[in-house]
Amino acid sequence: MSRPDQDSDITKLLKTDINRGFKLVVERYSSKLYWHIRRLVILHEDADDALQNTFINAWKNISEFRNESALYTWLYAIATNESLMLINKRKRNATVSLDDIGLFFTSSMEGSTWFDGDEAQVKLQNAILQLPDKQRVVFNLKYFEEMKYEDMSKILKTSEGALKASYHHAVKKIEKILGGS
Amino acid sequence: MMKESDKIQGKNPFKVPENYFEDVARKIISATVEAETSIKPEVRKIGLFHRLRPALAIAASVAVLVLLSYTALRIFLPDNKNGKMPEISLTEISDSFLDDIDIQTLEENVDPTAFYDRVPEVSNSEIIDYLILENVEINEIYELL
Repeated sequence: MSRPDQDSDITKLLKTDINRGFKLVVERYSSKLYWHIRRLVILHEDADDALQNTFINAWKNISEFRNESALYTWLYAIATNESLMLINKRKRNATVSLDDIGLFFTSSMEGSTWFDGDEAQVKLQNAILQLPDKQRVVFNLKYFEEMKYEDMSKILKTSEGALKASYHHAVKKIEKILGGS
Repeated sequence: MMKESDKIQGKNPFKVPENYFEDVARKIISATVEAETSIKPEVRKIGLFHRLRPALAIAASVAVLVLLSYTALRIFLPDNKNGKMPEISLTEISDSFLDDIDIQTLEENVDPTAFYDRVPEVSNSEIIDYLILENVEINEIYELL
């Protein structure tokens, strides 16, 4: 996982040669941001859209970033917002139901093509999907990416205490769901 | 139970198409950095016009509103070639007052000293004669004097 000080080369390059700097941003962050987005939106095509929108937004607002402290938290904040917007839009359209990931992945072309998980992984993904959207973000960032609460606080504009409590409750809920199944 | 899921923490069940990350990076650069640098000068000129269009639209709307207001004022207000207020004489003002005012109010407000020089002088004897004719007692008359 990138730490803010590891991006000092990019931030310097963005000030002197913005085009080369931004290409380096894409190279370093496209994979990390994709998986963060994909764990939230589940579907590859949606994750692909959200990832491209994330970088387009970042490019449009790159001058705003020059005043920010950390590229890493700034990019993750944009990616998280894009993901949540897409999830909300999908809920309004109600054409795709992801209430039961297992059923979805075993019965759809999307599932058979883009999901390769065993039974335990299906159960875990199903349990995570039961969490409210923002709590799911907290859980994913902590559990899968082992992000520090300090960085998460900057991304989600929430206090570290609240995030710790949210993660703790998320773990309890998932344990209960997995224990029940 | 989370210990069981800990075993799968490092495993990623989601798949991506082959060469996906190289392809998407190329698309992103094409839509951002390369799109910005490939804009031609002619397009930039048009872009400027398009950027100014909202401001021009607002200015045109304001100009139309001002013109309509001026036209309405010219139609509905009385014609005044000189552009000045009409002159009214003092006689006209006083006549208009007299038309509305009653004689009692007028008398109350007239300064009695204004006609002082026209009031004829009257002697004491003439006053006594008048009061006697008005049946005032002579003793009361003497008290007044």
